[in-house]
Order: sequence, then C-alpha cells, then structure tokens
Amino acid sequence: MKKIILCITILLILTGCTQDNNEVVNILNWSSYIPDEVIRDFEKEYGIKVNYSTYSSNEECLAKLSSAKEGTYDLVFPSDYMIELMIKRNLIQKIDKSNLDNLENINYNYLSYNYDYYNDYSLPFLAASVVLVYDSEKIKDDITSYNDLLDSKYKGEIILLDDQRVVIGMALMALGYDMNDTDSDHLEEAKDWLLKLKENVKAFDSDSPKTFMISKETSIGVIWNAEAALAMEENKNLKVVYPSEGFSVSIDNFAIPKGAKNIDNAYLFIDYILEGEVMQKIIEAYPYKNVNLETQNYLSDTYLNNDASNISDLMFSTGSFVENIGDKIELYDKVWAEIK
Amino acid sequence: MQRHRHLKNLFIFLVFLFLYLPIITLIVFSFNTSPLNILFEGFTLEWYGKLFSNTTLLEALKNTIIVSVVSTGISTFIGTLAAIGLQKYNFVGKNFINKLLYVPVVIPEIVLGISLLSVYTLLKLNLGLGTLIVSHIAFSIPFVIISVRTVLNSMNLQIEEAAHDLGANDFKTLTNVIIPEIMPGIISGATLAFTLSLDDVIISYFTAGPGSNTLPLQIYAMIKTGITPDVNALTTLMILVIITVLIISSLIQVRKMKKEYAR
Amino acid sequence: MKNKSKFLYLSPVVIYAIVLILFPILYILFLSFQTNDNYGGIIYSLTLNNYIKIFDIVYLRVLFKSASIAFITTVICILISYPFCIFISEKKPNVQKILITLVMVPFLTNSLIRTYGWIVLLRKEGVFNSILQSLNICDGPISFMYNNLGVFIGLVYTLLPFMILPVYSSVSKIDKKVLEASEDLGANAYHTFTKVIIPQTLPGIFNGSLMVFIPAIGMFFIADLLGGGKIMLVGNLIKNQFLVSRNWPFGAAISIFLIVITFLLVKLYKKSGGNMDDLGGF
Repeated sequence: MKKIILCITILLILTGCTQDNNEVVNILNWSSYIPDEVIRDFEKEYGIKVNYSTYSSNEECLAKLSSAKEGTYDLVFPSDYMIELMIKRNLIQKIDKSNLDNLENINYNYLSYNYDYYNDYSLPFLAASVVLVYDSEKIKDDITSYNDLLDSKYKGEIILLDDQRVVIGMALMALGYDMNDTDSDHLEEAKDWLLKLKENVKAFDSDSPKTFMISKETSIGVIWNAEAALAMEENKNLKVVYPSEGFSVSIDNFAIPKGAKNIDNAYLFIDYILEGEVMQKIIEAYPYKNVNLETQNYLSDTYLNNDASNISDLMFSTGSFVENIGDKIELYDKVWAEIK
Repeated sequence: MQRHRHLKNLFIFLVFLFLYLPIITLIVFSFNTSPLNILFEGFTLEWYGKLFSNTTLLEALKNTIIVSVVSTGISTFIGTLAAIGLQKYNFVGKNFINKLLYVPVVIPEIVLGISLLSVYTLLKLNLGLGTLIVSHIAFSIPFVIISVRTVLNSMNLQIEEAAHDLGANDFKTLTNVIIPEIMPGIISGATLAFTLSLDDVIISYFTAGPGSNTLPLQIYAMIKTGITPDVNALTTLMILVIITVLIISSLIQVRKMKKEYAR
Repeated sequence: MKNKSKFLYLSPVVIYAIVLILFPILYILFLSFQTNDNYGGIIYSLTLNNYIKIFDIVYLRVLFKSASIAFITTVICILISYPFCIFISEKKPNVQKILITLVMVPFLTNSLIRTYGWIVLLRKEGVFNSILQSLNICDGPISFMYNNLGVFIGLVYTLLPFMILPVYSSVSKIDKKVLEASEDLGANAYHTFTKVIIPQTLPGIFNGSLMVFIPAIGMFFIADLLGGGKIMLVGNLIKNQFLVSRNWPFGAAISIFLIVITFLLVKLYKKSGGNMDDLGGF
C-alpha cells in the first residue's frame, strides 16, 4: 500500500512538472487544418508549447467553447456565421490589431463581411467552398448539378460531408430554394430529396472525405474544396464541378475567446500564421482558398492550376454562406435525425 | 461427446480467428513499406523509427499512462477500503450507497460521460488531465470494490478476530492480515481498472480538454483524418508488452503453485 | 476508536458515491426539465417538452433502430459464445485456462485500434476484397462496411468477450456428474441440453446479454467509423445533442430515458436470479 501511495505521489509531482511548463497556447481548431510541422516550427521558434484540440463542425466548436470554463482556449477558428453567433453570445473578444505586424498580408476582399463588418472580432484565416467532384473514369456522364446525383446507377457511390447545414442546404439549393430556407414545407421537400439521395450515399464524413475518393471507395463527392484538391493529386481522373444550382462557401477566422489566459501567445501564433511563407506551408498541405496576399507569391503551380483549391475571387463571391437561423435550427435537427 | 471433435475445434479456431484477425492484420502492416495499409509491398522497420519522432502520438501515450496509473492507484485505494468497510460496518443509507455503486457498472458509458461533463461545466472546472483522472476514478472504483468483495466474502472472518485476540491493533490487522489475504482481489480489481482506463474512449471523449489527449482519443482522431503506419507499430509494441506481462505473471503463478505443492 | 476507523474506511466511498455518481445523475435529471436557448445555453424552467420530444416519431425511430441493432448484436454474441464456451469446457482444465486468457488478450489492446484493423480488412480496397478479387470469386467489390453489416461486425467484435466470460463461467460450473446422471436416466443429448444445460447457464446468458445490450446502445464510435456516419444510434443522438445541436436538456432527457431502461433491465436480471456482483467481476 505504501508503495502505491509513493508511486501516486511521484506521478502527481511528475505531472505537476510537465503541466507547469511556463509558456503555452491552447488552440482549438478544425481537424486537418494546420500541418504538424508548422506547429512544431512555431514551438521551436518561440519556445511556446501548443496544446492542440480539434473539432469537425462549427457547432462542435461552439459546444466545446461554451461548455469549457472561460480561459480554457486561447485561439479558435470559427466560420462566418459562427463568428456572428459567438459575438452575440459574448464568447469571443475584440482583437487588438496593433499586436499584429503581418496584418496587411490579409486580402481585403475577405474583410468586412456582414458577420463582423469591421472585423473587430475576427480576421480571415482562409476560405473554403463545397465542390462536387467525380471520377471521370468510372462516371461516364457529365455531372453538372446536384439533381444529377439522384440517378439510381450511382448507388453507394457518393460521399457527403457530415454537416447538417451544408447537406440540407445542398438539398434546398437543388430544389431551387435558398440554402438558408427555414420554411417547413421546403424543408420537408428537402428531407424527401435527401432520403432519395441517401440510397446513393456511401457515407457522411467531414474529417477526411478525401480518403473515400482516393481509395475509390466512392466515385462522387460533395466535399470541401481542399479535400477535393488533395484527392485530385492522388487520382488524376477526378473532375471538379461548381453545380449549377449554387454552392456553399465559408470563411474561417482567427478569433480569441473571452478570458483567454495566454492572449499574448495567441497573438504571436496569429502573426506567425499570417507570415507569407508559413501560410504557404498550410495552404499547400490543406489547399483551401488562400486569403493571404503575401502567400500568393509563393504558391506552387500544382496549387494554382487546381480548380478546386484555387477558386477565383469572382467565383467565390457567387457562393452562398450559411446563416444563423435561430430556433429554426430545430427543424434542421429533425430532418437530420430522419435522414441518418 | 468425441464425435464432432474436429468440427468443434474448427469452431473454436474460427472464433479465435475472428478475435485475432484485425490485430494480426495491423501487426503485418506495421512492417509494410507502403503507408497505405492496402497491400503488403515489402518489409521495413521504418515505422518503428518514425514512431519515436511522432511527438503527438507519444504525448498521447504519456497522458494515457499518467491517467491510467493515477486513476488506478486512487481507485484501488478507495475501492479496497470501501469493500472492507462496507462488509465490516453498518450505517444509515448503506443499502443506498451499495446500489449507487452499481450505477457506473450498468449504465451506458455515454450517460456517465455527459453527466460528468455537465457537472464540470456547472462547476466551471478546467477540462484537462485533472477532470480526466477524476472521470476515470468515477467508473473504476465500483469494479475494484466488486473484485475485492468477491475475495472478502470467501475469506475466513475468524482470521481477523484471531489477530485481534493476539493483540494486533486495527491498522496492524489491516496491513498484516486482511490485505495479504485479499491481495488477489485487489490485484484483479486494479488490473481491471487499469485496462478499462487504458482503453476508455467514450467517457474521455467528453471529459478531456486541451493538452490532455489520450491515446484512444488520438487514434480516434487519426482514424478519421488518416492513420499512419507508426500507429500499427505502436500497437505491435503494446501487444508485445501485454504478452510479456501475461507470460511473466503466469510463470510466477506456476512457481507459486509448485511451491505450495512442495509443501 | 471504532468510530474513527469506520469513518476512515467509509468516508471516501460515501463522498465518491455522492459526488461522482448521485450528484451528476441528479443534475442531468434537473437539466432534462430545462429549456434550451438555441445557443447552447439553458433557460431555467420546468417543462416536460424534452420528454415529449423523445416520443416524436423521428426520435422514436432512432431509439427503435438502436434497440434492434443492440438486440441483434446480443443474439449474435450468444450464438457465438454459447457453443464456443461449451466446446472449450470439454477441454482439459489447463487448456481451458489458456484459451480463456487468449480470448482476453485482444481486449487488452486499444479498442479503436482493433476497429481500425477491421477497416483495413473490410473497406472496398481492403484485404478481404483484394483477396476475393485476386481469387476471382466475385467480379465487383463487396460492401462489408459503411452499412449495417459493418456496424454489426464492429459491435459483435468489441462486445463478444463480455458474453463469453459470464457464459463460460456458468458453463464451467455445470457439474459433469449431473450430465452423467441425466444420461443414465435415459435422457438423450437433446433433452440433456434443453432440460439441464440451458437452465443452469441461463444466469450467465442473462448477465452477458446485459453487458452486451446496454453498451451496444451507447457505442457511438463504432457507428461513426464502420457505419460511415449513416447510422444514428442513441449514443450518436446524445453525442449530437451535447456536441453539435447544443441542446443539452434534450440530450439529458434521452440519457434519463436510457437510465430508466437500464434500471428495468437490471430489475429483470435480478428477478431471474442474477447476482449484481457478477456484472462487474469479469
């Protein structure tokens, strides 16, 4: 018994030591977003330990942020509509831009959106779109719209994101409605549309849908542009489509939670990421739409020539954003529970 | 009874094949040159080297070991005392406490996980190694109590009285008489708590915070975003450790039995 | 003196039971009567709406599907474990010991890793399909996972030892002499099995069923990984309420509902003569 107590004491002391490791920054970020290498480089350069946790949807980010004690996280990366919600809920604080030397690197086209018009609380990190991608070796038809996917010959061939707003939004767009429609009849139609589509769906996955396309588990995907681009590097037969009915886009942002304990380190991290060459490493590893002007100079041809990753500013502006719909989210929840 | 011996052995073999197939697969692929885990392309030890530079994975392993060892230690201590105390003494509400102790054993893990998460949120506790350890203690203690109690029930109660009669005080009786007698129960309870803690996904999923990623959580994230073969290498090493421990413990048992037999 | 040591023995466990078991459950019960404010917050109120919502056809379907998947998993586990344990119990005692230890070994390794092992085997370009293709057994790849089959394989695999161990312990307790007596009295193998063996091993089967059925309802990660996120079980539903839809009161209500079901199943188990301590003592 004494030995056990001794062991416990030693362990507690040991864990105490590793915990008190002076400088840390607690980051809550999307899974598959910043390569390990960038984090390690930051740790080496500044001597700050990065505690990295991940989420796979904006809702999960909100849940984690609001259920954890204030001060648990120092930096988060929510998308547009979630920024708006977090400002309303008083979860994030104003960014002191004077702390950031690399501020001017940000592409001004991606500032001043309605969700945070003066960018008081958020700064764009990168932008994403949801694209349709298919394997032209297996799918001989020309797919141009979401409705094409209902064809029964694509049984078990489709991978969708595990994201209720994006998927239900896609159904609404396919039916000619707005992707943020909250009319219960329209949602009913969307549900039926999705139930029909589900016959063809192999899986819902937000974390790594590219794996399904690379391993040829599926031949059609409606997935994040970076995932599509990565899949295209492995499988040259993949074709990208921006569907005729519309597509959803999002801008992911840096945001600092209220009560962040290591706020200076969070600023250091943001500034580090905003460096042209650092962002280049991130963008090349996870080829989303780059919103850093400095980085644009370093990007490889592979990135620039890929239609999925390098979507033009003009094209991006035709996409629709997910918007906050208040308590109507319950209707979406129900549709989601029903189609799953 | 011997009629269908071959068929019966075949059935046993098939069940074992089912149990071991995924593990054998991972062990084989840990030596594969291709990182894709699809076809075996050639032999390499590369992944074993890579494993030791994968800091994320190693840190998760460290956290897992800390959480398991600390929570096992504390729950074994509390659980053993509790099992003895609950057998020895009567008190108001004993029945109720006894019933409560079964709750973590029978309710779905997810329910315990979200209840603990809600309480941590209510109390505004920082999610991290601390909450993780407390949560693991929460589900381990009943298993320790049950294991110890099983041995206690079969123990000869007169031993304790005899010790008292011979002038041993309570503490001496506990450490010199009771504990050695119930050691098998304590060990099996601790082993059970340790294994449960080592492999817990569901409760950790809800109660971990920044910087307290455990191995199961890390692997869950990796399966979703793309696993690298160094995870296979880690699994192979862990299985090696388990088998070594098992062999050593059974050797000790055999030696003990031989000794007793010699007596 | 007596009271002091009584206090030392019992206070930790009493504090533990109240703080880490009773209080969390009472708090969840409290939460289940509150209203969700759509931002993940809670509006204090006293409402039954969350319970009424469970009986919405959409959520009832999830419950029903979950229960049937858990039930089928339990039945498959019985069908595998029962003959397995009987065949093993016919071996020599030493061999029995080794075989039962061998059953446990895989379960000492990480359960997610083993699930990943199944993914490697089952996926479209996985080991099984590659073998089937190279042997020309079938022309197209077979979908082993991202469907119900995958979920069943995962659940049965993960929960099988929880059936094997209690069933084995009840099978090994059967007195061989009783079997001989039954044969001497002229009972044929079939009668011996139904009249002697089954009744004696029933508590073990009940025990195993409880230890398989209940976890099977809550194992969201198996459905996530092997079902391709297409199959929503109660576990996934609760997880979503807490981590995605941020409707904690509804999640709490479903949890209370699960606790009640568990409680009823345990009552049934005790009524059939099961011992509570057997549930936790593998």
